[in-house]
Amino acid sequence: MLSYLPSVLICAVSEHEDCEQLPRVTVRMTELAPNPQPDDRQKEDARLVLRMAQGDKAAFAEIYDRFSRPLYATALRVVNDPTEAQDVVHDVFITLWEKASSFEAGRGSAFAWAVTLVRNRAIDRVRMRRRRSELLSASAPADLGYDENPPGAGADDNAALGDQAQVVRAAVATLPLEQKRALELAFFSGLTQQQIAEQLSEPLGTVKARIRRGLLKLRDSLPRRL
Amino acid sequence: MIDERHEELAALYAFDLLEGLEKTAFETAMTRDPELQALVRELRESSAALAHAAPAATPPPELKTRLLSEIHRPSYRRRRSKVVAFPQWVPWAIAASIALMAVWTGQLYLTGRSEAAALRSQQALADITLKNLQTQLEAERIISTQQLTGLNQQATDTARQLAEARQSAATAERLLADAVQQSGDLERLLASARTELADLGQQLKTQGDVANLKITTLASMLNNTPQALAVAVWNPANQEGMLKTAKLPALAADRDYQLWVVDPQYADPVDGGTFTVDPKTGEANVRFKTKQPIKAIKAYAITAERKGGVMKSEGPFLLLGAESETAP
Repeated sequence: MLSYLPSVLICAVSEHEDCEQLPRVTVRMTELAPNPQPDDRQKEDARLVLRMAQGDKAAFAEIYDRFSRPLYATALRVVNDPTEAQDVVHDVFITLWEKASSFEAGRGSAFAWAVTLVRNRAIDRVRMRRRRSELLSASAPADLGYDENPPGAGADDNAALGDQAQVVRAAVATLPLEQKRALELAFFSGLTQQQIAEQLSEPLGTVKARIRRGLLKLRDSLPRRL
Repeated sequence: MIDERHEELAALYAFDLLEGLEKTAFETAMTRDPELQALVRELRESSAALAHAAPAATPPPELKTRLLSEIHRPSYRRRRSKVVAFPQWVPWAIAASIALMAVWTGQLYLTGRSEAAALRSQQALADITLKNLQTQLEAERIISTQQLTGLNQQATDTARQLAEARQSAATAERLLADAVQQSGDLERLLASARTELADLGQQLKTQGDVANLKITTLASMLNNTPQALAVAVWNPANQEGMLKTAKLPALAADRDYQLWVVDPQYADPVDGGTFTVDPKTGEANVRFKTKQPIKAIKAYAITAERKGGVMKSEGPFLLLGAESETAP
């Protein structure tokens, strides 16, 4: 399943255990149907969205299957409430269905579009629901979720993660802790640059540099088209 | 080649962390730089991938069921927004406008900063100038105060001198008034003296004139008027005489009495003028002047002549008198 991933990322997933788990992953890959290449995955997503734009409800169901878990996980991570996370995901899929005709593959992947919608709506909800100080105290976990057990997440484990998630987590694992922390706050907290700097007790310039370096490294670590 | 600054902005932009002018400026830069656009796309994809890094969670199955039932519901009407087919250049035009606005705003900001700095400099300069002026003003105030004190002293002295001068002038005026009064008195005395002198002179003159008067009595030369009488007084100083008659008979209307003065220097008697007498009393008082200057009177004669008189006596002498005596 992960045959297309660089070996370094496989090692990252395995938390530097000298790639001992690489055979295990390979075994998993053989157990599953062959995964499409990243470009193929994005092309397939785009085709499904195009079919949605034409009113194809089966395409909608397939898109839901492909996107719902990371979108829900993201929403839950941001709002920290399963019911609200479901509402966010529900609203976003309705939006995808209604706005499918406005999707342009040249401007980015369908998945990135969906993530942006979820993230923005979740952050809006949090900002409306709480004061910012409450948000700060209730969010900002110690790391990018590996030590988090948000409500509704108990039934999942790494084994249930999709291959995409494993690749991303492996890439994230290669980042220095301070870069992971900066990216975490930048993506999930909805804070401004200055607020992130205050949260981390670091100068603003340092935080900006960490976000830049972390995101560039993540880009370089991930496959060109995830 | 994208520099670190733009890489940093692109990363922040991918996380929607840019705001305000910074965001506008970056979007403007992005419209001009395809490489930057590509970087932003990549970083957006990478940031979106972080969704996989969230703690794993699976939505409840009923969510999918609910969604599918919603879009399958006959009453569900797809709220597909009518996409207005804008020309492809419109977003670029809007972006360019925003870019221009950003540049303009930036220029305004920089201009404002420069102007503010210039104004601050001007204010500092003005403050220094103001302090200098205040110092000068204070110095001039001190000098002026001293000058004012001196002027006040001078004014006091001048006032005192003026009072003294006024007092002197009053004294002089009094003296002048006295002098004028004395002068008037003197003038009055002088006038009185002149009057007295004139009176004395007149008296002396009168006395002198009287002494020089020639008085002559004329007697009748005819029998029919034996009572007729005349007296002639001559003042040789002013060549004037006075004739007084009595009991002369009145003449016919076409005839006048005529007085003649005999002076040896002339061959004929000199005309002394005509006169008439009062018909009732035969009196006449006549002031006369001779036609020719008289040096010495030998005699007077009165004749009866044609009305208005003649140049040379034609009639007989009615009265005749020779110079015989003078007034005392």
